[in-house]
Order: sequence, then structure tokens, then C-alpha cells
Amino acid sequence: MKINTWFGVLETGKAGEILESRLISKDVRELVLYSLSLRDNKSNLPPEGFDPKAAALKCGFVETSAEYYSLLHEVTLEAAKLQVSGALTPDQRIIQAVEALDDVNETTNSLSERLSEWYGGYFPESGLGGEDLALFIAKYGSRENLGPQDPLYPKARNSMGAKLEPADEVLLKGFAESICSLYEQRRQIEIYIEDSMELVAPNLKLVAGPMLGARLISLAGSLEKLAEFPSSTIQVIGASKALFKHLRARAPSPKHGIIYSHPLINTAPWWVRGKIARAVASKLSLAARIDFYSGKKDPSLTEKLETKVLQIRTLNPRPPQKKQVSGAKPKKKRRK
Amino acid sequence: MAEVKKLSGGIFEIIKGKKQLATKNLDPGKTVYGEKLIQVEGIEYRTWDPRRSKLGAMVLKKFNIPLKEDSKVLYLGAASGTTVSHVSDIVSEGAVYAVEFSPRSMRDLIGLASRRKNVHPILADAGKPDSYSHLIEPVDLIFQDVAQPNQAEIAARNTIRFLKKDGYLLLSIKARSIDTVANPKEVFKEEVRKLEKAFEPGFEILNAKDLMPYHEDHLGVLAKLK
Ligand SMILES: C[S@@+](CC[C@H](N)C(=O)[O-])C[C@H]1O[C@@H](n2cnc3c(N)ncnc32)[C@H](O)[C@@H]1O
Repeated sequence: MKINTWFGVLETGKAGEILESRLISKDVRELVLYSLSLRDNKSNLPPEGFDPKAAALKCGFVETSAEYYSLLHEVTLEAAKLQVSGALTPDQRIIQAVEALDDVNETTNSLSERLSEWYGGYFPESGLGGEDLALFIAKYGSRENLGPQDPLYPKARNSMGAKLEPADEVLLKGFAESICSLYEQRRQIEIYIEDSMELVAPNLKLVAGPMLGARLISLAGSLEKLAEFPSSTIQVIGASKALFKHLRARAPSPKHGIIYSHPLINTAPWWVRGKIARAVASKLSLAARIDFYSGKKDPSLTEKLETKVLQIRTLNPRPPQKKQVSGAKPKKKRRK
Repeated sequence: MAEVKKLSGGIFEIIKGKKQLATKNLDPGKTVYGEKLIQVEGIEYRTWDPRRSKLGAMVLKKFNIPLKEDSKVLYLGAASGTTVSHVSDIVSEGAVYAVEFSPRSMRDLIGLASRRKNVHPILADAGKPDSYSHLIEPVDLIFQDVAQPNQAEIAARNTIRFLKKDGYLLLSIKARSIDTVANPKEVFKEEVRKLEKAFEPGFEILNAKDLMPYHEDHLGVLAKLK
């Protein structure tokens, strides 16, 4: 019978003796590729109890048992490395980027708040916040450095803020500069996600928009998993965080997954939102499947979705009438 | 001064105030998961935390651990290699085939394997032994800690292919991963039954004990072929 081993194919006789062997050369790279190619192979599997080490010694592939193990070690190690590097597929890179973006956002927001609090003591009237404030401070430092042409000049002159001492100014400027670069970083990650989505999931990007699409992949765990989800699941993805919060802290129970941030849903009147969400989820599911299985971009997806949404809205122009029980008193609000 | 007591081949107890499980460090000077290194008479030992390792807990629960210096081990569910590292210490002249299917865990395992010549890492699904049958020799012990609903089946498939006739199977069974509501005792009984009739001629169960207080809802099982 023929037997596949990581170092070649053996032809064995009735008693298991080796009749013939086609050995791979003792080159780690070649052995690695050959070994990986055998993973999905279903023919010539070694029989139960087959001993590849004994065979390798017998057919002369290696001289000693020590040599066998040392070569096997290198081959398994390199094969595993290759597999792990291949496991970082493009959709996994998008997931990393989405998670990095969330971290950067959180950090940026909390540092921005700190900066605003801090600088508020020196120029409370600036009316600036977020990136504008960080850019302002990084550029000018103290409000006294504003020129008379600057629109903020009058406010700065009459400010009730304290005087900014040089030592504090240096500190604040440095802090503001770090925040500016975080905002820059955020933009870079967003661009990366947009570009990658176009390559990896163009249809999902089309229907969901790049960020929502990327978040859906991230929450599902991979594009493959997202493509396998029924659209009813896609409709509630992302609600589970809110669900746990609900269970722990009795926050309101979540009905909406992250797809509710989709413009077609969040601009719709409340009484058709559920229907529209279902339509969007079903198109998202279709888009993810096309992306995973064929990858061809189909621009008609959005048109079809928009038509469908328009139809839902035309058929339901007014909120449904609340059923009035005649004679019933209006309910009092219950107090806790 | 520390005193060293040998528990079984390659497994030690170091008494230095308190008792600590340990193995001889095959990779001197290096720790793997934050365990302590202790020198006794020129030999470096690594302490072995039973709360981080089902196998470690089994040692303390007086399981007979059928490992020798030159044993060949198939380890299913290697994760990042916490326990694999101790097995590697124990079978210093043998081999550990470490199967793990999570690429993230494999990354750590690769780090470990690159420093330990007797660890052969394999990224594969333990439920599909065909996919790595071209790499594995008949082994003396299959150790399995996969925490999967079909763990009995996984054990059976690998045993048929790779376990020597006089080899052993050591299994950590997690109750939660099978059925989240059922009573753990019932689940364990059921799993042991499954194992006993998993295939012909089946396993003989030599020992089965819970791993309390080190691991909740876990059962250790030692078995051999009938
Ligand atoms: C409880 S952890 C093992 C911990 C490890 N034995 C230790 O003590 O260091 C279970 C591991 O089994 C892996 N696993 C689960 N199912 C598997 C399968 N079918 N094939 C390979 N690995 C699997 C998981 O990825 C996880 O890393």
C-alpha cells in the first residue's frame, strides 16, 4: 500500500516492509510545504499504528532517531509559523484595525476632556473643544500669543482666565500635541479601514458603509462567520454588549443591534424602523455572502435596497393608531 | 534550605516552608507563565501551579501519571503551552506532539516550542486526526484538555490512530462545555460512559476524580485500552 508521511511517499508490502520510497529532499522549506499540502489529503493515510520514525530510519531518510526528531521539530515549527501568519487574513486585519480605532477613540476622548478641563482655567471663553482646542493650544499655548487679527482675539483679551506660566505652557502644549497626533492616527486608521473594506468586502461596504461594515465583521469574528449568519442575527449583532449591561445594571433592554446606526434606519420614522431594519439586515447578509464567496461588486444592491425602503415608507405613511379602549381612564404613570 | 521529593518520573515536590509541585527546567533561566524558578543542589526546578494546569491538579489528586523520560506524548488542546511546558520538562528525552487549533494560542506555543526541542507544535483540529496523521508516531500517552462538547469522540478518534496498545489516555473533562444546565455529576457519568463504549474494544477507566479544589466542574480521567 501507499503511505503518505511528512518526508515522502512509501510503498509497503504485506508485512509492512518498505518496498519503495519517494523521499522529499532534506530541505526544511520543501518539507514544510509538502507537510502542509498533506493536511487536506484523504488518500494514502497512514494505517493505524503506523510508525513514521521507524520508517524514516529504515528507508534511509535519516540516520538516527535524534536526527529524525530534530528535523521534525524544525518542520512542525516552520509549518506552524507559516500557518499562523496565513491566519492573519485581510478580514482579521480589519478587525484589528477596528479594535485599535475603538481604543484610540476612547483614549482621545478622555485626554481631550482632560485638556479641556485643564486649559479651561486659563481661557474658559475659547468655545473650542476636541481637536480644535488641541490644535489651538499646540499652536499658541497661552491666549496672550494670539494676534489682533485672530477672531478669538477679543475674547482672549477680556478673558477671566488665569495667566499661563511658562512651565505650565510647555506642559500643556506637549499634552495638546500628543492629542493632535491621536486625532491624526484616528484618521489614518479610518482610511485604512475604508481601503481594506473596498478590497475585502466591497458589497458590504456599499450597503453598510465602510465603518458599519467593518464593525459587523469585527463583531461576527470574521467575514466567513458574518456570511453564515441568518439576517435575523445580523439585525441584533452588537446588541449583546447592551444585553449584558441590561442584565447587570438593569439598563433598558436592547432591541437594536449596531445596524440601527445605518442612515436608512436611523432617519426613518419610528413606526417603520423595524421593517426597514429587517430589509437592511437581509441585504447586508446577502452582501456579506457575495463578498465571501465571489467577491464581485454588485452596485445594484443599494438601488434595490433603496427601492425596498421607499416602498415600506410609502405603504406606511402614518404611525399606526393606538387602540383606544373606550371609557378607560388614561393610565397614571407608575412611580418606582 | 529546600528539600526535593520525587513524586514520580520527572515530577517533584519541593518543600521550602510550603510544598510546591515542580519539574526540572529543560530551558534553564526561563519561565513560561510567571512560575517560580528554584535552585536545589545545582538543579533548576520550575514550580507547577495546579490551578493553572489540569495535569498539575491530577498529580495532586494522586492520579498515576504514566510518563517517563523518553515517553512520546500526544497533547490535544495545547493552548499557549502552560502545561505543555511541564510535560516537555518531564519527557526530556521524549517527544510532545502539541495540537492546538487556535492561531492566537499557537503564536505563544510557537514561542515555547522554538526554545524546547522536544515540543512539536501542530496547528490542527484535534477532531480531525487525519489532517496530522502524516506527522505522528505511536504514542505512550494521549493527554487531552480541549473543553469541547465532543471531547469523548475526539479522544476515541485519536486513540484509534495513535495510541500504543499499552498506552494511556489522560483526559480533563469540563462539565460546562458539554451542557451548561445539567448537573455536573450527571454530565461526567455520561461522558465516562461514552468513553467506555466509544469504540471496540473500548477503554478501561482506571481512575476518575473531580479536580477540586483546583478546577471547578472538571473531571480527570485516566484510561487504557481494554
Ligand atoms: C482549557 S484550554 C487547554 C489548556 C492547556 N491544556 C493548559 O493546561 O495549558 C483548551 C484548549 O483547547 C483548544 N481546542 C479546543 N478544541 C480543539 C480542537 N478541536 N482541536 C484543537 N484544539 C482545540 C482551545 O483552543 C484551547 O486552547
